Amino acid sequence: MMPGANMKIDTNIKLPLAFIVYALIAFAAAQLIFLLHHDLLVAGQMRMPDIWMGAHFLLLGFALMVAMGAMYQLVPVAFLTPIWNQTFGFAQFYFTAIGITGFAILLGIKPDSAIYGGIIAVIGVMMFIIQMTITIFKQEKKNKMTLFVAGAIICLSLTIAAGFLLAWNIALGGIASHTKLVLSHIVLGVAGWFTLLIFGFSYKLVPMFSLSHGYSMKWAKASFFSYITGLIVLISSFWLENNTLQTIGWLLLLIGYGLFVLDIADILKKRFKKKLDKPFSFALFAIWIGFSIHVLAVIFRLLGIHDPIIWSWLIFLYIMGWIIFSILGYLYKIVPVLWWTYKYSDRVGKERVPLLKDMINEKLSLVLFSLFIIGVAGLAIGGIVHIEMAVFIFQSLLSLISLVYTISIIRVLFV
Amino acid sequence: MTLQTQIEAALYEVIDPELGVNIMDLGLIYGIQIDDDNNVTITMTLTTPGCPMHDTISNGVKYRVGQMDGIGEIDVNIVWEPAWSPANMSDHAKDMLGIG
Repeated sequence: MMPGANMKIDTNIKLPLAFIVYALIAFAAAQLIFLLHHDLLVAGQMRMPDIWMGAHFLLLGFALMVAMGAMYQLVPVAFLTPIWNQTFGFAQFYFTAIGITGFAILLGIKPDSAIYGGIIAVIGVMMFIIQMTITIFKQEKKNKMTLFVAGAIICLSLTIAAGFLLAWNIALGGIASHTKLVLSHIVLGVAGWFTLLIFGFSYKLVPMFSLSHGYSMKWAKASFFSYITGLIVLISSFWLENNTLQTIGWLLLLIGYGLFVLDIADILKKRFKKKLDKPFSFALFAIWIGFSIHVLAVIFRLLGIHDPIIWSWLIFLYIMGWIIFSILGYLYKIVPVLWWTYKYSDRVGKERVPLLKDMINEKLSLVLFSLFIIGVAGLAIGGIVHIEMAVFIFQSLLSLISLVYTISIIRVLFV
Repeated sequence: MTLQTQIEAALYEVIDPELGVNIMDLGLIYGIQIDDDNNVTITMTLTTPGCPMHDTISNGVKYRVGQMDGIGEIDVNIVWEPAWSPANMSDHAKDMLGIG
């Protein structure tokens, strides 16, 4: 028998929780900002300061902070390696939270000063990258998940570097290739960092939550290399201004994503838990949305559809339908685990303790997730066909559900 | 009732919080060794390496067995090989999880 980790690998629960609570507040704030500026959404004006503010609260304040919190919780258990330095982790939280808040607000009200918030945020993110890099290097037995997480961290570093240059350019000027840098920043952040990270953790979480056994994960490496090559080719196409290269880049991303979907389908086919939890099913649904958007991107390229408004909404759908939905689904699983561990783990064996499913309201989650789907679909359709009332109604719906979702998760902390 | 049987009975009270099934019926316990001084070594696994409940379940085992009279030192050794398989589950666990 191979000796397992008989060591203590748990992270201080307050560390991931701090990130997640901040993230939930940022999520609700982002949706309220979008609601206040829904007129810009109707006009397809995504690259305006107020939308930047909402987008960065959503992507940095919510998605990035959740990802960081989840990694502090999942990396030690999934890699069987303790976090390198938890005190450093708390310092990293304060730097990142203050930096992101300052950066996002300044982007909205005084973009030429955003760089000052950006500098603090960059320090926070760099601290996170140092923390995770050292932790991963300490992992004794590397696996396929390590590959995806390492790839995601490299993309995060590049995203932050590109973002910093953008903030620098807005404040001080001097960089002529601003649009190319914007596109590279979006691709590296949205497709590189988040997608590779969700791929990696899905390879661990999907079999675990579905109790799957006997699956192969045979496409994982091919998926990783295809997706990474797709990212490199796509970003190169922006800088070389080469349309053919851009289509090839999208195609490689689709192949990489498709191979990941094949593995996930195999895992689900070989699952023993037939009735899956609703939040987990929602996270799985997000995989199909992400795949559909990759297919659409390739079709649009092949048909020569270059309308920036359509592409802006495609990016919006990718962010909301794939990244945010994945996170929203998994959070309903991760937060109860964190809180349960904090509150009940030392009572196991002593007394009857609640089960994880007792800590969340699964019926409410079904309603919320259904409304999220309706809200995002309605908003995108309203935006593409320029119906202001539809954009207002569906964004109002999203803001309201986000608030209820945030409260429903925070409520777990009072169980 | 032998000490071995008493320990097994106690472990039926340690529940996997994700699945809601006790760890004995799940087939997570691979072995219980008791030496002459009643020091206990429990060899067990989890349904998947990287289970977030790693420490929680092993600490639960340690605590529950520690409550019993006449027990010496308790060592919980988590192993990943042989890997856990659904075949390890009892019929009762399969019924609870809706596995035919």
